[in-house]
Amino acid sequence: MDELLAPVKALLGPAFPLVWTMVKIVGILAPLMLCVAYLTFWERKVIGWMQVRIGPNRVGPWGLLQPIADGIKLFLKEIVFPTKADKPLFVIAPIMALAPALAVWAVVPFSDGWVLANIDAGVLFVLAIGSVGVYGVIIAGWASNSKYPFLGAMRAAAQMVSYEVSMGLALITVLMVSNSLNLTAIVNGQAEGRFADMGLSVFSWNWLPLLPMFVVYLISGVAETNRAPFDVVEGESEIVAGHMVEYSGMAFALFFLAEYANMILVAAMTSLFFLGGWLSPVGFIPDGFHWFALKMSAILFFFLWIRATFPRYRYDQVMRLGWKVFVPLTLVWILVVGVWMMSPLTIWN
Amino acid sequence: MLENYFPILLFILVGLGFGCAPILLGRIVAPHKPDSEKLSPFECGFEPFEDARMKFDVRYYLIAIIFIIFDLEIAFLFPWASIFQEIVNTPAVKLFGFIEMFVFIGILVLGYIYAWAKGALDWE
Amino acid sequence: MIEFKTLLFYLFSAVLVLAALRVITARNPVHAVLFLVLAFFNAAGLWMLLQAEFLAITLVMVYVGAVMVLFLFVVMMLDINVERLRQGFWSYLPLGALIALLMVGEMSLVLGSGYFGAEAFPGSQVTADASNTKELARVMFTDYFFPFELASIILLVAVIVAVMLTLRKRPGNKAMHSSEQIAVQRNDRIRMVKMAVEVDAPAAKGE
Repeated sequence: MDELLAPVKALLGPAFPLVWTMVKIVGILAPLMLCVAYLTFWERKVIGWMQVRIGPNRVGPWGLLQPIADGIKLFLKEIVFPTKADKPLFVIAPIMALAPALAVWAVVPFSDGWVLANIDAGVLFVLAIGSVGVYGVIIAGWASNSKYPFLGAMRAAAQMVSYEVSMGLALITVLMVSNSLNLTAIVNGQAEGRFADMGLSVFSWNWLPLLPMFVVYLISGVAETNRAPFDVVEGESEIVAGHMVEYSGMAFALFFLAEYANMILVAAMTSLFFLGGWLSPVGFIPDGFHWFALKMSAILFFFLWIRATFPRYRYDQVMRLGWKVFVPLTLVWILVVGVWMMSPLTIWN
Repeated sequence: MLENYFPILLFILVGLGFGCAPILLGRIVAPHKPDSEKLSPFECGFEPFEDARMKFDVRYYLIAIIFIIFDLEIAFLFPWASIFQEIVNTPAVKLFGFIEMFVFIGILVLGYIYAWAKGALDWE
Repeated sequence: MIEFKTLLFYLFSAVLVLAALRVITARNPVHAVLFLVLAFFNAAGLWMLLQAEFLAITLVMVYVGAVMVLFLFVVMMLDINVERLRQGFWSYLPLGALIALLMVGEMSLVLGSGYFGAEAFPGSQVTADASNTKELARVMFTDYFFPFELASIILLVAVIVAVMLTLRKRPGNKAMHSSEQIAVQRNDRIRMVKMAVEVDAPAAKGE
């Protein structure tokens, strides 16, 4: 690789790190955007099948060009700026929603060593940038200066911050057993332990010893991204579409991109923290990106499945689940893991 | 260490640019024919009576405060959790490091119980 | 790389100062809060340049992710009338300026002194590869464990005060309690009344 790059390096001189990093960023963003586009398609197909419908099948073979057509349509739609809206903030809001959803991908390791920025405080960074995403929603609701967006933004903000607490507390147990804040180290740590020594590496992944935290993290992830059944923020039958009511065209599309990019991100994080990332569950197929992609796809399918299956929660139920079920559960499990690790029965060494 | 953060800075900038570009392009490519009906706030077909930025329930504010407390607690727990293996493997500080954090969590749980008992976490 | 760092330092500082200025000059309180968010981001960038990795990210997590959300809630909730706030600006100016001058003086005394000045602290002893967070944890949970426990007391007081100040039970609340609804008995809802049989009078003619 280095030999191949040598002439490019010589040509670009001091600008080489910049250009090379940009190439890597595009290498992450372009497939991500493709995934987002086809996740929307897959969502419609899967929910269609679950409800004994066909789903989109007109544009291209099996409807495969549907997301492209949707994109072009949104592109050619007028972006309406309501008269009463706060124009600068109205434009900034979707950007504020999208940028954090993308920026977190800088620290996601796709396989051992395949990471753009292998920072030491990876988990902290994910949590910090993830918490910035709430601004897009609040600003959108306030800048629109219209009732439904405002109500939606208030709901969204309170819901997102509530579930950030349970996500953060669930991650504490992961850190306790991994002894590191670095995402690559967390995944590699899951390949060690008592069960891995016995050749059963699947059981040494965090999902089993931290099973309640795995469930809490996954469900909080659904709530944090405002997906069904926790989509009271958009609840069509109550507040039309929440903070996105006044948005149209590409401005609306950005919120959509952000939501799906966040979904994929939650899937990636769950598989890194709890499902062993790129580690292979069976001995005869090597570790690698394919496992990571497979685990992410399974979690994304789970998201679509629960959307098709469950009715929407009421807002008070959403808040009760976050504050009165998840927070006590995580606090107790931190204690349990602490005592477990201190006891001779520890499986992490 | 800082070299690791350069790609992140660049990624944030690219993310912002990636957000701006579609809006700019959409503004150029898409039609732009505003009229007063189209630009009025969405309100189920009638004129809005009052300003949309109304006063809302104080509970949202309370949730935000309790969230800050817990966020700070998480910020304190992170460094502790990242060295917990070391604490466990060092007999001299094993019990101290454990009890120390559980005193910290215990005091905060008192506040949590208080908020729960007073009904601050109820949503009615 | 050194020149690039210096360039970044000036960039972050310039944006920080400009954003901070806009915080106090913006007419709309929501805009002011958002400029404060921008200022925090740049402060985090500056801390990162000082290699304070943990602190920089925590600044974003706690201040941008939590405290400023609360600020936004407050300024959105309060319906602040900016025009009225601006009344009497000139009459308050001398007093405000005096307090500001005093604070600047005190801070310069503290920061310039031998105790807290830049010379009083030796440069970072930590090697570049060591985990910033872990180094911090090793110190915080051993040498500084008492202030650390004190922090939890402060947070406890904050929770109690916040609940006491803001929590009001509003009358006429129509909340449903599903447990009560499920536990309801037949006798809670209907009352059987014994009464004499009433014979219908024949209907009036002409109906």
